[in-house]
Amino acid sequence: MPKKKLAKADPYFIDNPKRVKAVQKEMAKKGIDVYLGSRLRTMSWILDAFCPWRTYVVIPPEGLPTAVTFVIDAARVADESWLDQDHIIGYGPMGGQDQVALLSMLIKPYLKAGKGVVGMETGMGNYLPEGHLTLFEFVMLKAALPRATFKNAHDIIDRLSLIKDEGTINRFREASRIVDVGHKAVYDAIRDGGFRKMTETEVGGLAAYAMRKAGSEWEWSFTGGNEIASGYRSGLAAGACTPASRRKLKAGDPLMVDLHAMFKLGLGDHSHNYFLGKATKRQLWHAKNFVDLMKQVLITYRAGISPTSLADEMLAFAEEKGFQDYLVPGFEHGIGLMGDEWRIGLNDGPFQYWTNPEHVYKKNEMLICAVQYACPEEDIGFRYENPILIKEKNCEAMSRFPLSVNVV
Amino acid sequence: MPEKKFKYLSKEWADEVGKRCKKTLTPEKMKNITSSMLTVYTKCPDGKTRAVYYKFTKGVVENVSIVEGTLPKAEFSITADYELFARISRAELKARSALMSGKMLLRGNLVKALTLSPTVDRLNEVIATVPTEY
Repeated sequence: MPKKKLAKADPYFIDNPKRVKAVQKEMAKKGIDVYLGSRLRTMSWILDAFCPWRTYVVIPPEGLPTAVTFVIDAARVADESWLDQDHIIGYGPMGGQDQVALLSMLIKPYLKAGKGVVGMETGMGNYLPEGHLTLFEFVMLKAALPRATFKNAHDIIDRLSLIKDEGTINRFREASRIVDVGHKAVYDAIRDGGFRKMTETEVGGLAAYAMRKAGSEWEWSFTGGNEIASGYRSGLAAGACTPASRRKLKAGDPLMVDLHAMFKLGLGDHSHNYFLGKATKRQLWHAKNFVDLMKQVLITYRAGISPTSLADEMLAFAEEKGFQDYLVPGFEHGIGLMGDEWRIGLNDGPFQYWTNPEHVYKKNEMLICAVQYACPEEDIGFRYENPILIKEKNCEAMSRFPLSVNVV
Repeated sequence: MPEKKFKYLSKEWADEVGKRCKKTLTPEKMKNITSSMLTVYTKCPDGKTRAVYYKFTKGVVENVSIVEGTLPKAEFSITADYELFARISRAELKARSALMSGKMLLRGNLVKALTLSPTVDRLNEVIATVPTEY
């Protein structure tokens, strides 16, 4: 089977063996004999392949890691990963081939007389496919490796994956370019009355088709792929999750189009907002507030600021302009290769497994600038999302679809 | 004259299995595989553990032998107790059912094992033709 490894000169090249060595160095510092990864973000970051089924990776103190995934997908993951098929093995419901049997078999050689420290990934998340080790998995592994000590160690991967390398950044840029293709397709389809008789699901689908044609692997978000909200759904109180519904688009409605594309595990995520057919003066006032705010947000992001400092500044801006009541007070969520979503930075804030509001951004961190403007009493709302790259003095907004609220 | 029966897991039985495999299983039927397999029998009637070692090179069944003590390395190993293997050999139980019920342990790459499963079925069909005394 041909192995499609990226050359170093490839703009999307990621030095995966270097990542593994960096993890092993941290393991040694922390006294971890062997690392058992189970989170989706860890699979993407280590294996450089999409793992939609429950997958684990066992990282030894030196040498190559071995991933264990559902047997029906093991050959495909091996085909796409930099690791060969001897290091991507399948589990299934057979004697000696279930998850616990395979994991304990892979872990045991690194424990002296059964004793040693196994790094694991446990915790809590608002992101459903996070992939922390389950209690059942832990209990079964503990029974299989009774003399081993298990230690939560996900911070190793979290710390190493925080600052993005060039290949990762370029993958996000390409995913964002693809999302812009989707937005152009939506605009072309709904303008000049084209929205009439369309439903939200149809808008999501036509965007998906355009993005797939442009090379997107899937509409990656677990929030239903492309999120489309029209009318009252665009302004649900404190809401920022709108899987497309079968609601028909109507003249006079706001329409929020939040598209997601994936390119080599890099994620595109950009929202654009419209008024269908016409807009009232009041609606246009809301739109101007939103666009003014977003311009302000985007010129503020840079290394050295924190979520708190940015929020303080933006909320003061909204108050001054008289629209603070409509602003959901959050301006970003974390992002990384597929599976790394929501929390920004490390797990070092006042609330476990939530963003530390005092996290200070550094150069080459990435996040999704995410703002929701919602006025439920007027059935109106807008959303902005865009992957941004933190730079020394500013930020790079990766999707380039022009910031505006268009009346179409 | 009654048909000669070979004592299960004896050297003669293994030789007969090897002879019949070489005669019946062409490299094409064996998908030209190069691999090795151990079937490990625990709780044999004499209380011992012994194994059958199979070696295939480019689809040719090169070696079928009985081993005791330190077992050689093989790409795949299948472990179960003697009685379970005997039931499979007497066609009273399917190997797949034994694996799926957890009564039989498979070591080795599952993806490759599943790919080779029809080939192993062919091998088992030949083994089943050997008149055996359990």
